[in-house]
Amino acid sequence: MNVLMPQLGETVTEGTVSNWHKKVGDKVAADELLFDIETDKVSMEVPSPTSGVITKILVPVGTTVDVGTVLAVIDSGAAESAAAPQVATAAAPAAATPPPAAKAAEAAPPSWYAAMPPSMSSAQPSMGSSGPSAVPAAAVASSASAHHAARSDQLRLSPAVRRLAAEYRLDLGAVPGSGRNGRITRRNVLDFIQSNKAGPQAGAAPAARTAPPVADLAAARSASAAPAARAPAPSPAAGPAPAGAKTLPFTRIRKLTAEHMVRSKATSPHVLQAVEVDFARVDSVRKTVRDAWKAKHGHSITYLPFIAHAVCEALHDFPNLNSSVHGDSLILHEHVNLAIAIDLGAEGLVAPVIKHAEALTVAQLAGAISELSQRSRSGRLKPDDFASGTYTLSNSGTFGTLITAPIINQPQVAILSTDGVRKKPVVIETSEGDAIAIRPVGVLAQSFDHRAVDGAYSAAFLDSVRKLLENGHWVVEV
Amino acid sequence: MAQLTYRDAVAAGMAQEMRRDPSVVFLGEDVAAAGGVFKTTVGLLDEFGPKRVKDTPISEQAILGAAMGAAMTGLRPIAEIMFSDFFAVCWDIVVNQIAKARYMTDGQITMPLVIKSGNGGGARFGAQHSQSVENWAMAIPGLKVVAPAFPADVKGLMAAAIRDNDPVLFFEQKSLYATKGEVPDGEHIVELGKANVVREGSDVTIVALALMVPRALKAAEILQEQHGINATVVDLRSLVPLDTQTILREVAKTGRLVTVEENPRLCGWGAEISSIVAEELFWDLDGPIVRVTTPHIPLAAANNLEDAQLPNPERIVAGVRQLVD
Repeated sequence: MNVLMPQLGETVTEGTVSNWHKKVGDKVAADELLFDIETDKVSMEVPSPTSGVITKILVPVGTTVDVGTVLAVIDSGAAESAAAPQVATAAAPAAATPPPAAKAAEAAPPSWYAAMPPSMSSAQPSMGSSGPSAVPAAAVASSASAHHAARSDQLRLSPAVRRLAAEYRLDLGAVPGSGRNGRITRRNVLDFIQSNKAGPQAGAAPAARTAPPVADLAAARSASAAPAARAPAPSPAAGPAPAGAKTLPFTRIRKLTAEHMVRSKATSPHVLQAVEVDFARVDSVRKTVRDAWKAKHGHSITYLPFIAHAVCEALHDFPNLNSSVHGDSLILHEHVNLAIAIDLGAEGLVAPVIKHAEALTVAQLAGAISELSQRSRSGRLKPDDFASGTYTLSNSGTFGTLITAPIINQPQVAILSTDGVRKKPVVIETSEGDAIAIRPVGVLAQSFDHRAVDGAYSAAFLDSVRKLLENGHWVVEV
Repeated sequence: MAQLTYRDAVAAGMAQEMRRDPSVVFLGEDVAAAGGVFKTTVGLLDEFGPKRVKDTPISEQAILGAAMGAAMTGLRPIAEIMFSDFFAVCWDIVVNQIAKARYMTDGQITMPLVIKSGNGGGARFGAQHSQSVENWAMAIPGLKVVAPAFPADVKGLMAAAIRDNDPVLFFEQKSLYATKGEVPDGEHIVELGKANVVREGSDVTIVALALMVPRALKAAEILQEQHGINATVVDLRSLVPLDTQTILREVAKTGRLVTVEENPRLCGWGAEISSIVAEELFWDLDGPIVRVTTPHIPLAAANNLEDAQLPNPERIVAGVRQLVD
């Protein structure tokens, strides 16, 4: 049975094999961990689709291949042993063996081309060049034939077959091919689907065929294509590492983070503003539900869902901060898709998104944050979890930081850092005069894109968040 | 319904419109008294008289210059360029004047003009009288390009071309003149820009034009009988406007496209259709697009050589099998 590069999300077309848990000759059980893959947005572990012995590993670690590419072959019994090696051999990387002479005819230029007199046809590859052709026709032909030999017709899947395989999540190894040299045709796949009564997988390719919403597109672009294109060249390395120093090559996620950070700083003029917030009221609500919450959910309720709720509410009144800059205009997003920065230690930093966060209660936000962070830590985030964020919360508070100047998560225009909440003496103004009280106080620091808004707007937004947190009538249904 | 030749259908279409509209006039070399060198306009002089049906001196530029002026000033002229190869000597008037007048005058001047012309090979006329120039015409913005394969379409498309307010190049395939077919009696119009699915199949879609349509149909028969391949054949009928809807629909059904073109290979009309299909239907394609064309060399005069150059049913069958097998 062929092991294929799985479809990892609607917008993902390729993936990188980052680790094989087995080697050729190893036995593997169905659902046992087989390999890890990384895309530009996510890494995940992939279990074996079947039990058997690994007969071929076709894609080595570090190689990026298209979705649907055969990664390995598992011999799951005598029945399939005849077919599998054939596929595997065919897929072996470019054969060093020259094409047999008999194949040369196939590699000859097409007939319409051959019909032209040599003086015209050899100049063909560079029409209009007056000098002798740089690439003699013979050389072109032989390299073309080598290319033919290197790729098996069986694995040369037509676009139609690829699409159907993705839509129906088919293992094409099981589809008999009737085309030339056993190539699988569209008809073969349709017949196979018909005889197996398979239905298209929800959320797979049919969705991919419809155009993604603009915001997703923009996010996808900025997440993939743009960094390389737009990032200004980083200053050159200071030369070879000094003796005794240790070199840590960037992981994929480190590299992407580095690119994104440089690009964000180059794109958006960042301005930092911070407010001090008295969390006494939030604290009292946390205390009243603490025991019941912990009993039910297994963890305490943090400040973060309250802050998230206040931010969503304030963004409603300050929509220019829930936006993206497109050329000379500001695109205001309909919903607040709240990205939550989650630190994964050595694995780096991710910012999965809570979609339509403005519609959620504090308890629902707490649930969503906890769910995202659990999935982040267990590597089960899907690429779509990263799509279309509109505002980001970054929480350094657990380490007791005083203030953090965060870098904007492009193409958003603002990001809020929540720093440590500590008990502090605070002057309370009352009608009876001023008094000093001990209150839980923390700083909320927002970096905003000065292209999008000005300081007064951002300050008013922060003031609104602060007031909501200090005066809100919080109700948390456990 | 009458059985008419392709040749007679030309005159039938023109006469239908000349009876209907007195502003339709006709001019060209030997078109009046002689009834055309290909006998496509026999009887028009008798019926409509020398004011409306005129022989001209041997000057393509004079013919088109006069026709253009007539079109600009209220008539609906039909001009004949005897062999489409001769467009080369009057191309400036076609390309720089006729095609652009409506745009450059912001629509103040329309160009209700038909230029009919004998096009294509297979009649042993040699390199300078056998070219298929439909792809030249297709490359010029502002021109409509029509090339029928069957007598009924000749009549209907000629009538539609005459009624159209834009310049239409009407290509008559010379080796089809003697072919016969049913032609509706009375007024008959075939809308410009509508391709015709002349054979429905399930395995491959062959898109063809003019002389290549009957050859594609013959190939489809062979494919069915000898190879079990069931081909759809689409007769484009006009290149501009191009019926992309029908093309895309029919190619999507089979997932395979073969174009059969009489024009030489490079920048032939099939290249444009291949590009459209690749762009719009990539994920529906079940194999590479195949183009069967005349090779990119001038046509030979010798019978056997000309036959070897033009796409024939055998070459079409081979092209389809290359894709489908």
